[in-house]
Amino acid sequence: MDVARLKRVLSKSSRSTLVHGVLILVSISCVFPLVWMFVSALKTQETIFSNMSLIPASPHWENFALAWTKGKFGIFFFNSLFYTFCTVVGVLLISSLAAYASSRLPFPGRKILFMLLLATMMIPVPGAFIALYVLLVKLNLVNTRLGYILPQINGQLALGVFLLKTFFDKLPRELEDAARVDGCNKLQVYYHVALPLAKPAIAVLAIFTTLAVWNEYLLAMLVLSDRNLMPLQRGLMVFQGAHITQYPLLMAGMTISVIPIVVIYIIMQRHIISGITAGALKM
Amino acid sequence: MKKVLSLSFCLALASVFSILPACKKASQSGAAEDSLVVWHWMSDREDAFNNLAKKYGEQKGMKVRFELYAPSEAYMQKVRAAAQTNTLPEIYGVLGESRDFASFVNAGHVENLTPAMSENNNQWMNRFFQKALVNNQFPEGNSYNVPAGIYGVPLDVTNIQMLYNKDLFKQAGLDPERPPQTWDEFLKIGPALKKAGIPGFVSGWGELWMIDCLASNLAFNLMGEEKVLKTLKGEVPYTDPEWKRLFKLFEEFRDSGLPAAGLVTMVNKTAEQNFSSGRAAMAFNGSWCVNVYAGMNPNLNYGAFLPPAVSDKNPRVIWGGAGSSFVVNARAAQKDKAVAFLKWLSDKDQQVALAKETRNLPSTPDAIGEIPAVLGQFADDMELTTHPSRFPVSEASSVVETFNKGIQSILIGEKTAEQVSNEVQKVKEIEMKSAQK
Repeated sequence: MDVARLKRVLSKSSRSTLVHGVLILVSISCVFPLVWMFVSALKTQETIFSNMSLIPASPHWENFALAWTKGKFGIFFFNSLFYTFCTVVGVLLISSLAAYASSRLPFPGRKILFMLLLATMMIPVPGAFIALYVLLVKLNLVNTRLGYILPQINGQLALGVFLLKTFFDKLPRELEDAARVDGCNKLQVYYHVALPLAKPAIAVLAIFTTLAVWNEYLLAMLVLSDRNLMPLQRGLMVFQGAHITQYPLLMAGMTISVIPIVVIYIIMQRHIISGITAGALKM
Repeated sequence: MKKVLSLSFCLALASVFSILPACKKASQSGAAEDSLVVWHWMSDREDAFNNLAKKYGEQKGMKVRFELYAPSEAYMQKVRAAAQTNTLPEIYGVLGESRDFASFVNAGHVENLTPAMSENNNQWMNRFFQKALVNNQFPEGNSYNVPAGIYGVPLDVTNIQMLYNKDLFKQAGLDPERPPQTWDEFLKIGPALKKAGIPGFVSGWGELWMIDCLASNLAFNLMGEEKVLKTLKGEVPYTDPEWKRLFKLFEEFRDSGLPAAGLVTMVNKTAEQNFSSGRAAMAFNGSWCVNVYAGMNPNLNYGAFLPPAVSDKNPRVIWGGAGSSFVVNARAAQKDKAVAFLKWLSDKDQQVALAKETRNLPSTPDAIGEIPAVLGQFADDMELTTHPSRFPVSEASSVVETFNKGIQSILIGEKTAEQVSNEVQKVKEIEMKSAQK
């Protein structure tokens, strides 16, 4: 091996080591909070402040069972699954139809309508709480599952339409023309051609919506009062007092609540990455 | 993909149809005739409240449902929204400043409890620490135009005092049963602790209000309430010798070696962790700390004492008052039953049960004898409490900020007492000129 080639190999190897080193550091910084959360869930209220070790001498696995029963996670867990499922389906259905119409169907005021929809992303949900509550009271939807799901679908629509419209805009029209030649109407083109092609963007939207709904808490506090209708985040509040927090139980509860999100991410990982790289998040 | 979408769509439709019947349910405030709904934000008291609700149901046949909404910001959003739609429950609490409370009263959402409190020679009113009631009443001619009266029922009280670790005191050769009573005694503890290698004093002084609290306590003791209030009115300057002496106290405190490392930027949660784990011998904290320390270190051997006296001319004063309070919805159909429940809740048995379970100070003095000793030490001094919200005059926020930051500067040796005194007065004069305009 000549010297020049050796230098090239070494330079390539050191560059690769550097890149991997940085990536490992970034990974550690991302994973560490999760590890800390899990480890803290295995400690006691006393040792959590005195023992900073990442490997507890006597792990308290019972904290998970205690968090589940004390936080009454059973019903909350089911509720969160239900709300997340309904909201995700609602958002995907409505926003994909709206985005396709906005991208492909010419109608007067299309651009203004799209801009208005985007503008709603600028309004923080808590800012509209009182108006929303008044509306829900008038519709007799306060303290109902539907009253909690509908505002969440509404809250995610702007992002959904924005994401999917951007994606649909980039799809080659020739594919849709071919479908039309085969006799498809507009809805069939949407269903048979555009929607399957938008899988990566839909996956991204699905995970974003899942995250938002799964972690939602403030709206639930506002709309719901029946304990049996509350989502999972309500269970975590039991461990947080005004002056004292039961950290081990809170961390155990958080670990439990994070599991479904991690599972969903792992299942959809391939689509999410391809969605992001294919331009679902590009303007 | 198509199959998944179709299946999801069908499932979603089925879900919507399954939840539609629930829409016909009444909203939350419409409690049945034999039940009461109470909204609260105190997540750590949920079990205690539910136990009391069960007991009330057994004794009186009335169902009481406590509904928890936390954190407090979310709770207040809900209360405001419900007030707009007249869907408040029978009993709830109003968080915030006096003007927020006043706005609820003026809007007709809060029942005036004075008639109920005054029945049978003020029987109900006399049960409470009088300082606890002050936070729940509006005096005649108040600036919010609220008709004079008592509008809330204090559930517990709170005050802020000094704390010391008895074991660490013993380790440093100090008398664990005799905490410092005077400023000189307090300062002498510094060298003793230093010699034993024990960090001295912690508090949440990174949160400025806790510095303000101790400084205010010392100022009332040093120059008396009248002079402090005259200063707030602008009639006495902050460059007065007694104010300079007050700032000088913090120089002495710094030089005594008492402040633990990082005191000036410490948040109270860190201070609590340090004190409870024996990493500091003294702390300045509110009575809520009893619950906090019990959670962090149940074996902590400690006591509470009043901030040391800097003068014998004036009484010692501490900050405190009502902790949390409940009000009755004036528009509730069952407001009389709500009042009856709150009366029952302030009975000795219920107050003792609450204090024991939540480790908060009871709002009624008759419960003191049956609560843990440290809580009793806090409760004994309840009648010495005051609070800026009860002062007839308030200080401009810029002056308060300069004052507190000035003390921080003294503690880190950045400024002298003289400099801070002049700076605070300068800001005060600017504020006074601006007010005159």
